[in-house]
Amino acid sequence: MTEKTIYESMVERGLSRRDFLKLATLMTAALGLEYSQLPKVVHAMENKPRLPVIWLEFQDCAGCSEALTRSHDPYLTKLLFNDISVDYHETLFAAAGKQAEENKERVMDEYEGQFVLVVEGSIPTRDNGVYCTIGGRSAIDLLEEAASKAMAIISVGTCASFGGLPHANPNPTGAVGVHELVKDKPIIHVPGCPPIPEVITNTIAHVVLLGEIPELDALGRPKAFYGQTVHDRCPRRPFYERGQFAESYDDKGAKAGWCLYKLGCKGPTTYSACATIKWNEGVSFPVQSNHPCLGCTEPDFWDGGGFYKSLAAPPGAEAARGAQAGFASLGGAALAVGSALYARKIKQKAAEEFKAQKKKEA
Amino acid sequence: MDWLEFFRGPMFQIALLVFILGMVYRFLRIVLMGWKKDYSPPRGSAAAGVVKTYVKGLGFLPFLPPKFPGTRHRPLTYIAGGMFHLGLFVVIFLSTPHMEAWRSVLGFGWPTLPTPFIDGFAAMSMIGMIILLSNRIVSPVGRMLTGLGEWLNWIVVFLPLLSGWVLYHHLFGMPYQTIFAIHMFTVDWLLIWIPFSRISHFMTYFITRTMHGAKFGRLGVEP
Amino acid sequence: MSATEIIDQQALNFFVKNVGAEVASQLEACTRCGLCADACHFYISTGNPEYTPIWKVELLRRAYEQNYTILGKLKTAIGLDKRIDTEDIAHWAVLDFQACTVCKRCSFVCPMGIDIAGLIGKVRAGLTAAHATPPKLMAMTKNQLEKGSPDGSDEAKWAAWFKWGEEQLGKSLPMDVKGADSLVVFTMLELNSFRNNLVHIARIMNAAGEKWTLSLRARDAFNMGTVIGDGAVQKKLAERIVKVAHELGVKRIIVTECGHGYVTLRQAAHNLFGETLPFDVVHITELMGDFVRQGRLKLRKGYFDNEHRITYHDACKIQRIGGNFDSPREILNLIAPSSFVEMNLNREQSFCCGGGGGVRAIPEAYDLRMEAFSLKAAQMREVDATDVVMSCSNCRLQFKEGFEHFRIQGEVKGLVEMVAEAMIE
Ligand code: HEM
Ligand code: SF4
Ligand code: SF4
Ligand code: SF4
Ligand code: SF4
Repeated sequence: MTEKTIYESMVERGLSRRDFLKLATLMTAALGLEYSQLPKVVHAMENKPRLPVIWLEFQDCAGCSEALTRSHDPYLTKLLFNDISVDYHETLFAAAGKQAEENKERVMDEYEGQFVLVVEGSIPTRDNGVYCTIGGRSAIDLLEEAASKAMAIISVGTCASFGGLPHANPNPTGAVGVHELVKDKPIIHVPGCPPIPEVITNTIAHVVLLGEIPELDALGRPKAFYGQTVHDRCPRRPFYERGQFAESYDDKGAKAGWCLYKLGCKGPTTYSACATIKWNEGVSFPVQSNHPCLGCTEPDFWDGGGFYKSLAAPPGAEAARGAQAGFASLGGAALAVGSALYARKIKQKAAEEFKAQKKKEA
Repeated sequence: MDWLEFFRGPMFQIALLVFILGMVYRFLRIVLMGWKKDYSPPRGSAAAGVVKTYVKGLGFLPFLPPKFPGTRHRPLTYIAGGMFHLGLFVVIFLSTPHMEAWRSVLGFGWPTLPTPFIDGFAAMSMIGMIILLSNRIVSPVGRMLTGLGEWLNWIVVFLPLLSGWVLYHHLFGMPYQTIFAIHMFTVDWLLIWIPFSRISHFMTYFITRTMHGAKFGRLGVEP
Repeated sequence: MSATEIIDQQALNFFVKNVGAEVASQLEACTRCGLCADACHFYISTGNPEYTPIWKVELLRRAYEQNYTILGKLKTAIGLDKRIDTEDIAHWAVLDFQACTVCKRCSFVCPMGIDIAGLIGKVRAGLTAAHATPPKLMAMTKNQLEKGSPDGSDEAKWAAWFKWGEEQLGKSLPMDVKGADSLVVFTMLELNSFRNNLVHIARIMNAAGEKWTLSLRARDAFNMGTVIGDGAVQKKLAERIVKVAHELGVKRIIVTECGHGYVTLRQAAHNLFGETLPFDVVHITELMGDFVRQGRLKLRKGYFDNEHRITYHDACKIQRIGGNFDSPREILNLIAPSSFVEMNLNREQSFCCGGGGGVRAIPEAYDLRMEAFSLKAAQMREVDATDVVMSCSNCRLQFKEGFEHFRIQGEVKGLVEMVAEAMIE
């Protein structure tokens, strides 16, 4: 079937050219493009076919969807979800049960190879995936089916991207991220626990509106939002450089807004737009609110040795380390004593040989 | 577990244990080789000699010879050695991340220096090392005395400095985790390598310096 | 001592049996920085890297590592190092005996505080055990053991020297006086070349009212055992003097113009006998200083002040490790207050004359020791000194030969003779 372009589908839904241009302008900015690129965006939206979106949710807390509903740019979100793209959302859609399932099947078949699959939540793989089933089918099964028909996949949240909280040690359900199971489709990671809502919408918009995959970093994250660390753009950075650190949450330093590094801030290793886009309509972000960054956009962030332990502190149990160090010292001492006894033997032998030779010479 | 977690976690722990075991072994092994008593009557105080030698040696900088050699053949070697060691000391002990690493191992912390200072000291340290290396390459004495072990020492000590520098400056556009992992890997190697090499001179230094001070203090000459 | 063939195993055994914590820690501490090279007059004057002090210890280090360390064994096994062979021994015999005066300058420069010269002493001993020591030194050792002095001077010759002294003095010399405070010990070097010292010292002793004695049985403070590093010889030779000192019940032994004889008796002897001997060992330089300070010796102020510029050469054994820095300076500031100038490198930093540690006795080492001496000559030139004073016969001979070699005009003086001349009797 021939696809409508975005512009056409907007017009069809009763939106004006003015609305369309407004959206295009917004998109240009949101995609981190130069204003001069606007015509390119407009052109794409006028000519490229609209890409439907199917949103699946597996083993998670629904926090990412939850975050979306608190986007401070509701215009774009609303547009994206209600008017343009999202044809199926497991959680947000009013329809449920068999009817909803059928609807999903229909869209998938109709738009095979053309729709964008958004996944939220990890996929448990242990025991044939019994730990997450929908309508009697396992998450693995559902994902594989949807993925095989999708054009591209966007893994929203750290769970879908890297396994997330369910993947945390000891990972009882064998939870993994989408990319562990799907190898033959382009996958975009939008990690975060949850991700910043604007980052979710902008990434989806980029794909569905421009029909292309944004530039990604080594971990498959859009560079536009994950190109810098929290630390790179942190308002507390000058304190870090000056060596002014809060030592506890209510000390003088904390009150003066000093750097939270010593309290365990993972900002330096965390690629995220937290410090620039911020949260809740740009009001603040965790570090600004006096809480260290947990590193939620990075794989395995909870297994990194503790949220409140300094980044430099090697992870691992301190008590065990002490005991092991003790044993190592004892081991070294024992070896040294043994070796010194052996050395004494070598010395004696040399002394005897020396004496014998001397005697011979005399 | 990704590489970073491995190099920061289990491998660091293993490296630390190898380091502790190795250094205890090295120290005791030397000390247990047996000592001779000195029967000659003292002309001065051995203890005072020890104090003096440390004040001269460490009080200034460990690299300054207690007696300036007189010939000014290679003052650069002294200066470079000093730049390198002072920089290394500051970087290892007075930078916040390193202090935090020590704190997690030792259980207590101390005040640290602002980052630009550390940056400067690290640069100084690396420049010092490069001068020392060129000296080893250029000077016939350096070439003659330097064996495989010494070349390796240089590399093993230089890499953590370099990777730390790249890490702090986010150079080469590498993901932070990757450089961090490389930094930790080089640090782990340094820890493992020390007991097997002459980098352990930071321990033997205290044996030989004490002996030197005591010996010459006892003889009644300035150590 | 009959064999002349090098026995490498014997050197190895010596090294292995003599490594204690002191040696091991120093060998392990060296960072191979090469800074000690800049301390050594042999390296500085020639630029030959092999004269780097720590390189002269290479044999000992290799023996230690190959026998006592896991890594050393591994290195030998995979061919990074090889067992010490006769060639190595012969090579290092040249380095350690001809290119080192055991002056300890390097020991003060090493940033790790390694007593490199002390280690070189050990290497010399190992080389001696392997029969690699220069033949001239071995002949001298044999002489001293058999006749009493390294040059073969025997008791009769010494008796003649003493007799000559008595004639010059017009007075008898105290021989084997029981209950004397000081036993004065000369060396053959001194009496061969600067025989007047005998008269000078007798006059100084008498003028100071010191109860002193000589002894034909304890005549030569020279100790070839120290030079070649043979503990047994060292002990045998030291014993000759120590026995007499015990017998006469002296309070102290005065060593005259001899550096290594002084440190041998002052430091090594106690350890050779495994006890602290009940007498002081004092160098003539410090004794004269003491006399002056105590007012027992009166010197004519400014006696040597003239158009000459006199400088003082600090000897390695008497000053650098003997610590007798102040006495000569006090004396010179009295008798030549305006003529006396310090060299730029003085006291502990002083350059060795280039002839100590037996080097002067080795004919093959002549050119090298003259090279080394050129530094000393340059030191003198730097401060426009014409004359030089010192308190060691060996240094004095090296200076005299050096002056001749480089055609330097100037006088080489002994501190003793200056004091004797400036003394008010
Ligand atoms: C008490 C502490 C220390 C003292 C007194 C000390 C002393 C020295 C000295 C005297 C040298 C040779 C002189 C020079 O080249 O400047 C040296 C070289 C060196 N030291 Fe240290 N050091 C200490 C600690 C350390 C530590 C902790 C490390 C490394 C982790 C280290 C690594 C090196 C290296 C690699 C060289 C050789 C440099 C070269 O010449 O290529 N040192 N050290
Ligand atoms: S609070 Fe965290 S992100 Fe901000 S400067 Fe400090 S360490 Fe960096
Ligand atoms: S500050 Fe860090 S932990 Fe917090 S949301 Fe941002 S990236 Fe995640
Ligand atoms: S003792 Fe003197 S001569 Fe021998 S290596 Fe050291 S500085 Fe050179
Ligand atoms: S100065 Fe000391 S540490 Fe340096 S090479 Fe010489 S002996 Fe070794």
